Amino acid sequence: MTLADIANLVVAAVLLAGIYAVMSVGMTVIYGVMKIVNLAHAGFMMLGAYIALEFFERLHLDPILAALATFPIMVIVGGFVHFTLVRWLPRSDQPTLPSLLLMFGLWLVLQNLGYLIWGNTDRSIFTPRTFDVIHLGPVVIPTIRLYVFIAGLGCVLLLEALLNWTWFGRALRALVQNPYAGRIVGIDDEKIAGLTFGLGIGFAGLAGALLASLYSFNPDFGRPFLIRAFVIIVLGGLESVSGVAIGALVLALVETFTIIWLPAGYQLAISFGLLVLVLIVLPGGIASLLGRVRRLA
Amino acid sequence: MKSRSLRWQFLLPAILLAGLLVLPEVGLSPNALRLLFVSFVWIIASLAWNLLGGYAGQVSFGFAVFNGIGAYVAAMLIDNGRLHPYLAFLAAGVAAAIASVLIGLPTFRLRGPYFAIATIGVSEAIRVVATNVDFTGGASGYRITESRQFNQLEHYYCAMFVAAVAVATTYLISRHKFGLGLMAINQDEDAAADSGVNPFAYKLKAHAIAAFFTGIAGGLFARYAAYIHPNGVFGFHNSVQILLMPVIGGLGTVWGPVLGGVVVGVIEEEIVAYFPQAHLLIYGGLLIIIVLFEPGGIVGGLRRLARWIRRVLERGPGTPAADTPSEQADEVLWGTGSGPGR
Repeated sequence: MTLADIANLVVAAVLLAGIYAVMSVGMTVIYGVMKIVNLAHAGFMMLGAYIALEFFERLHLDPILAALATFPIMVIVGGFVHFTLVRWLPRSDQPTLPSLLLMFGLWLVLQNLGYLIWGNTDRSIFTPRTFDVIHLGPVVIPTIRLYVFIAGLGCVLLLEALLNWTWFGRALRALVQNPYAGRIVGIDDEKIAGLTFGLGIGFAGLAGALLASLYSFNPDFGRPFLIRAFVIIVLGGLESVSGVAIGALVLALVETFTIIWLPAGYQLAISFGLLVLVLIVLPGGIASLLGRVRRLA
Repeated sequence: MKSRSLRWQFLLPAILLAGLLVLPEVGLSPNALRLLFVSFVWIIASLAWNLLGGYAGQVSFGFAVFNGIGAYVAAMLIDNGRLHPYLAFLAAGVAAAIASVLIGLPTFRLRGPYFAIATIGVSEAIRVVATNVDFTGGASGYRITESRQFNQLEHYYCAMFVAAVAVATTYLISRHKFGLGLMAINQDEDAAADSGVNPFAYKLKAHAIAAFFTGIAGGLFARYAAYIHPNGVFGFHNSVQILLMPVIGGLGTVWGPVLGGVVVGVIEEEIVAYFPQAHLLIYGGLLIIIVLFEPGGIVGGLRRLARWIRRVLERGPGTPAADTPSEQADEVLWGTGSGPGR
C-alpha cells in the first residue's frame, strides 16, 4: 500500500465521519436531556430521506438544499411526536424499558408508513454531478461527498453554537448536567425536552436526507446506521457533541481501513462487534479512557 | 378459596391440553393444523423470551440468533436422515444454549437498556456473518431433505409437546426460588445481590434456558418448512416478533406469553394475509398502546376487568378495591434499569 492509498483512505474516512456525526448528534442530545435511547432514529432518517426525495423530484431542488429544507420539517415532526407520545412516558434519570419499547413501536409504525406512501422499491437521488470528482494531487475526492460533508459539518457547528451561546442551549446543558437543579432554578424542563426532541429528530431527518444523495434507500433504510450511531455515541461518552465527533471519526477510520483485510460484507459485523466491545470495555467512552490515563500518570 | 383457585390452575390447562390432543381426531383442515402448529412454535419462543425479559426484566433484541442456530443445527442433522429429528431438536436446543452462554458472558456485564442495545449489535453481527459463510448456504439458503414421509400430525403433536413442556417449565420457575430471584433482579438488581441472589449467574441461567427452548422452536420450524435461509431465521424481524408476543400478552406471567403467541400467530397468518401492507403498523401500534395504556398486556387488562367486575358484584360501585396482581405486572414492565456497570 502506497502513501497515496493511505491518504485516499484517510480522506474517505474523514468525509464519512462527517455524515456519521450528523446522524449521531440527534441521538446524543435526546439521550442527554431525556435519557431516552431513540430506537426510532432510523425511522426518522428514512422519513428525512424521502422528504428530501420529494423536494428533489417535485421542486427540483439541489439535493443539498433539499436536505437542508428537510431539517425544519423534521423538527416539527419531532415536536409533534413528543407532544403526542413521548411526554407521557414516566420520567426517569435512567433509560427505561417502556421508553425503549415505545420508540421501537414508533419505528415499526414509521417504517410501515414509509411502505404505504412510497412503496418498497429502492429509490435514490441522482444528479448529473453525482459521479464528479476533484483531483487534489494523488487524492481523489468525490464532490457530492465533499458537499455532504460541508453541509453536515456546518449544521453540527451551528448546533454547538446554539448550545454554547443561547439561553436555550444553556438550559439544555444544565438539564443534561443535573435535571433537579435545573428545575430548581426555574427551567421549564417539559418545554426544553420538547424542543430538544424536535431538534434531535431534525438532525436524524437531516442525516437521512444527506445520506439519500450518497446511497439508495427504501423504507427499511437506516437500521445499519442506527447501530453505527449507537457505537458512535457510546464511544463519545453519550452526552457531548465533541465526543460524538471523535466517536464518528474513530468508527469511520476503523470501517474504512478494515476493508483492506476483510470482505466488504463483513463491514457491518465489525461495527456491531465494536458496539458490544465498547459497551463492555469503555462504558464511559473515549473521554473516560483519557481520564483514566490521566489519573494513572 | 385458595384450594379452589389452585384446582382451577391445573384443571383449565388440563382441559386445554386434552382438547388440543383430540382436536385433530375430530377432523381439522390441514390449514387449521398449520395455524396451530405455527402458534405452538411461536408460543415456545414467546415463553422462552418471557423468562429473561418478563421475569428478569432483561429485554433482548437478539433472540433470532437462537432461533437461527437452532434452525441450522436441526436442519443439518436431519438432512439426509443423519439423525432422528427428535434428537436433532435436542441438539439444536443445546447448541443455542451454549451460544447463549457465550453471548451472555460479555453482555450481562451491562445493565437493562445497555444490554438491550448490545443484543441488537450481537444479533446483527451474527446475521451478517451467517449470510457470508458457506455452510449456511449463504443468501440462497439451505434445503432439508428428510428421509421419512411428511406427516403433518406428527409435526403438530411434537410442537404441542414442546409447548406444553415450556408452559410447565415457566410455571415451575415462577413458583421456585429461581423465579423469585429473577423477579428480584427485575425490581432492584443491587438489592437482589445484597440479599443473596447472584444476578450474573441467574441471568446467565435464565438466558440459557430461554435459548434452549428458542433453539428447539427454530428446529421445529426448520423441519416443517424444509427450507431456511440466514436472512429469514436470523432476521431482525424474528427477534422483534419473539419480543412482541410476551409484551402483548403480559410480561412476567405464565399465560400472557401463550396468549401473545396465539394473537401474533393469528395476526401473522390470517390478518397479514389480508392486509399485508399494514402488518408493521399493527405491531407498532399495539406496542405503543400497550406501553402507554396497559403495561400488563392482555393478561393485565383481563385482570383489571375481572377486578372491576368483582368489585361491582361484591361491594357495589364506587368502593376502591385492593389491587395487587396487576400492580405486579406494572412493576415488571416499568421497573427501571440502571447505568452501565458491572
